[in-house]
Amino acid sequence: MTMKINRRTALGLALAAPAILRSTRAFAAKELRVMAWQGYADDDWIKEFQDHTGATAKVVFIGTDDEIWAKIKGSEGKDFDVFAVNTAQLQRYIDGNLTTPHDLAKLPNQREVLPRFQDLTKVKGVMRHGKVHSIPFCFDSIGLIYDKDKVNPPPDSFEILWDPKYKGKILAYDNGEHNFSFTALTLGIEDPFHLTDEQMAKVKDKLIALKKNVLSFYTTPDEALQLYKNNDVALIWANYGQQQVKAMKDAGANIEYVNPKEGALAWLDTWAMTSGVRDVDLAEAWVNFLLQAKIGRQLSERTGFGNTVVETGSAGANDKLVWLDFVEDPTKRSDLWNEIKAQP
Amino acid sequence: MIFIGSARTGFWPRALAVFAYGLPIIAIAVPLLSFLTYSFFRVDKGEIVRDLSLLNYQRFFTDAIFLPVLWQTCVLCLAVAGLATMIGYPVAFQLVNLKGRSRYFLLLLVLVPLLMSYIIKIYAIRSILGGNGFLNRFLLWAGLISEPSSLFVFNLNAVLLTLTILLIPFAILPIFLSLERIPKSMIEASNDLGASNLQTFRWIVLPLSVPGIMTAATFVFVLAIGDFLTPQMVGGQSGFTFGRIVYSQFGTAFNWPFGSALATILAMVIVAVIAIGNRLERRWL
Repeated sequence: MTMKINRRTALGLALAAPAILRSTRAFAAKELRVMAWQGYADDDWIKEFQDHTGATAKVVFIGTDDEIWAKIKGSEGKDFDVFAVNTAQLQRYIDGNLTTPHDLAKLPNQREVLPRFQDLTKVKGVMRHGKVHSIPFCFDSIGLIYDKDKVNPPPDSFEILWDPKYKGKILAYDNGEHNFSFTALTLGIEDPFHLTDEQMAKVKDKLIALKKNVLSFYTTPDEALQLYKNNDVALIWANYGQQQVKAMKDAGANIEYVNPKEGALAWLDTWAMTSGVRDVDLAEAWVNFLLQAKIGRQLSERTGFGNTVVETGSAGANDKLVWLDFVEDPTKRSDLWNEIKAQP
Repeated sequence: MIFIGSARTGFWPRALAVFAYGLPIIAIAVPLLSFLTYSFFRVDKGEIVRDLSLLNYQRFFTDAIFLPVLWQTCVLCLAVAGLATMIGYPVAFQLVNLKGRSRYFLLLLVLVPLLMSYIIKIYAIRSILGGNGFLNRFLLWAGLISEPSSLFVFNLNAVLLTLTILLIPFAILPIFLSLERIPKSMIEASNDLGASNLQTFRWIVLPLSVPGIMTAATFVFVLAIGDFLTPQMVGGQSGFTFGRIVYSQFGTAFNWPFGSALATILAMVIVAVIAIGNRLERRWL
């Protein structure tokens, strides 16, 4: 194999060599300041990125959405170059002029991503006024987990949660906001995040009916698993998506996961550059670096979440995903959720 | 009285006094007062508005869900208090009648569950109560039922049972203390005067242990009514209690002022129950 360098590859190498050298030299002694969630900037990736670019990447891990806001807003974007943020949260950064739009020409790997993420105009929230403010990186859907022994054929609609056949065999999640959204989708309401009073009343009635079919409302994946083990559970509304699927499969449960046809709620984390980015090229190099198939695969293996480059269990190619958005009035939804739970 | 003579002037006694009064003020009185203050604020579009008003209290009385849930929770907790006391009494009685060291050793055993994390206990009870839980499997195995019973699975019965089990130690202790305090001579006198064991119990022991019973019942009631975790974990879709409403105001609803108002109302209910308990206790004596 070593002797097989023909003229063409030699030529290719000769042409590529300066480019490679340039890329390693270009960022020497520069520093990239990254803010990320745990799992989005693993040590081995950082090392590879540094070896490749010659720059150093300094990563600060954050724990909550509000922490990101406090750090980015607090420094007016000057303390970081690039940060991870979900599409719903991103809007207030764009509003506050805290982002720098991406230049897709500098992100060749974005051309290789899954069809769903190819056309960024179709990914709600990442673009504004024709400019790309962030690049999708990691996501997960909130579908249905079903027990293969008890539910046959596999479900394709959320309506199965209301099926009297499964009364007392269903686990739902204890949160008004999401429950209103997914029930609105089930009822065929176009925008599940902004309900009119009339729609809200309809959804409420539907949720009261759901409550009567449910065994219990859980709050953590562990709790759902324990409930599944000790009870005759057939269906779970999987708030924790693939994380929950993995935990249940590890525990030996014969389950499968599906995104129903009405559309599954899903969150999407993206990479945005701050308004105070020091070196746009270096920041773009970081995002482009993370959009490799190898990294996407590792991201999904390590976190259980879906990546934007390689197909995973989070969503099939034709699954409908509805990216999460802020809802019209969280307090109102929570109050109504209490009313639903208080129904005798 | 340790610092006789220098009590008024020394630095350390004064520092100690500051500490002794300061700690409860900072750790108890200030948080309670801030709760009370918050209950007069309100939330508008996710922001807390610091205008004083009675809106939260007005909402509590006018909204259709809060009073019924509070009432239902009170009934539930009264049942828990009654059950725990009824189960705790014979246990305490038996313990008091033991001789020597075994009395305190067994008392200690009764209290051992209190050393365990609350959540672990709930989890354990959950695996006992579930549809394929230990209880159902046992009953099936014993042939007492032919298919899993849902009587104690994720409903108010499960909450009642779980709270009772968790809180029994708190019932046993005060009853034990009140029984232990009854002078032996009084029981001997009763026997000497020809009373049967049952008569002695009915007319001497039971009335003298009423303060213990009332303390036990109040203890259990107060602990049960403040609990939001147990209903959440074993209550299923029908085990909704007042504690869970309060909890939801601080979590998902992000309505701290209303949550504070509800907590204040709950605190007033608790104070009222303690007062009633005291009153009953005195009337018996």
